[in-house]
Amino acid sequence: MSSHSSRKISLVGSRIRELRKARRLTQTELSERIGIAQSDLSRMEQGEYKVGLDTLFKILQVFDLKMGEFFGETDRPEEAQARELVRDFCELSGEARREVQDFVRFKRLQQEHSEATPGPAWPEEPKGEKTS
Amino acid sequence: MSERRKHLEFLRKTAREAIWAGDYERALTLYDDGLSLARSWKDRDLEDLFSCNRATTLIEMDRRDFDLSGLKEILLRNPSSYNGALAAYVAANAHEARGEFGRALFYAQAALAKSRELGLEELTGTSLNLLANLELHESRFESARDLFQEAVERLDSQGESLSRQAAVATDNLGYCHIALDRVEVGLPLVARSLSVLDSLGARQAMDYPALDLCFAHVKLARLDEAENWGIRALGLGKEFGREDVVKNAHYLLAETYSEMGREPEASEQYEALASYYPDFPALKHYLHQVSLMDVINLRA
Repeated sequence: MSSHSSRKISLVGSRIRELRKARRLTQTELSERIGIAQSDLSRMEQGEYKVGLDTLFKILQVFDLKMGEFFGETDRPEEAQARELVRDFCELSGEARREVQDFVRFKRLQQEHSEATPGPAWPEEPKGEKTS
Repeated sequence: MSERRKHLEFLRKTAREAIWAGDYERALTLYDDGLSLARSWKDRDLEDLFSCNRATTLIEMDRRDFDLSGLKEILLRNPSSYNGALAAYVAANAHEARGEFGRALFYAQAALAKSRELGLEELTGTSLNLLANLELHESRFESARDLFQEAVERLDSQGESLSRQAAVATDNLGYCHIALDRVEVGLPLVARSLSVLDSLGARQAMDYPALDLCFAHVKLARLDEAENWGIRALGLGKEFGREDVVKNAHYLLAETYSEMGREPEASEQYEALASYYPDFPALKHYLHQVSLMDVINLRA
């Protein structure tokens, strides 16, 4: 048990750091949300600071982890990609977000159309008609 | 000593016994009686003394209905006397109970300095114990261990009548060693502490030693022992309304059952713990899969 737990303490400290960075939170922001000093969070990330259950559960709640994520296992690639896209999207300006949304709508329409009518991915211009 | 003082000393001694046995209501009644008498006799020293004792009892009861500023007035009025040092110590305890650790540290240091200056061995020992607890709360285990060691030495030298305070400090010292992965050093200290407290009928102070023994045995993978002490800690925590002890006991018992492969019992303990956190519905799932044994601080 002891050696098992020793492995976990560094896992938790280092995982907290990784997860905080993945969520683009500074130490100050996270420490404020869980109600501890920034210096203590820094020690915790280094595996030096032990906490009570209340604080530990607050951290887990802020991160809203999946178990696999907690252990550093990789998600399904599309899930990781989706999370990254959401993060990038949130950093865009309002105008840029609208452009992305328009583009996504366009791609969905394109996809729906191709599924409904087997053949070319995008309708070709009618043949035999004069173009203006 | 006058007859009046003898009577009030008897009240104090009886109240103290009641506190150690966990009978706070009785202790409070006795201190209230003493306070009324001291006031009627216009004995300011005794009034201050009983005010401090009464506040200590209310802190033990998790109550806040006492005059914290009044304690600080006692400290200011008696900068170089027992009452002043005691008032600083009680004020430190009050701030600690409120989670105001910076202020608690300030008054604990004042209590220690005054106790040392006046040669008050018991109050020096208990002030060291309090300072060490504040260090423990901040996860500074080495520093806490050294302070607890000094507290034990001070309190041990006081003879039989103070062995309960020494036992409490000894348990804390043992816990530090266990948390620092020196279980073989810490476990006998905690066991000795529990034995003393048990023999003195100090049930109220036995919850943490029981919890610490459970923690030590889980670390050593002595799971039957861990289960026994976990159940005992849980019972004591419930009996004396110590939510932190109850939550930690649920957690340690769950880990114990989990290690034993007794999943239904582990699940029961995790559920009991998760019920304290209704805003975190996923908690139980985390608890089933993540061991927090090496990141948990039972005194934080």
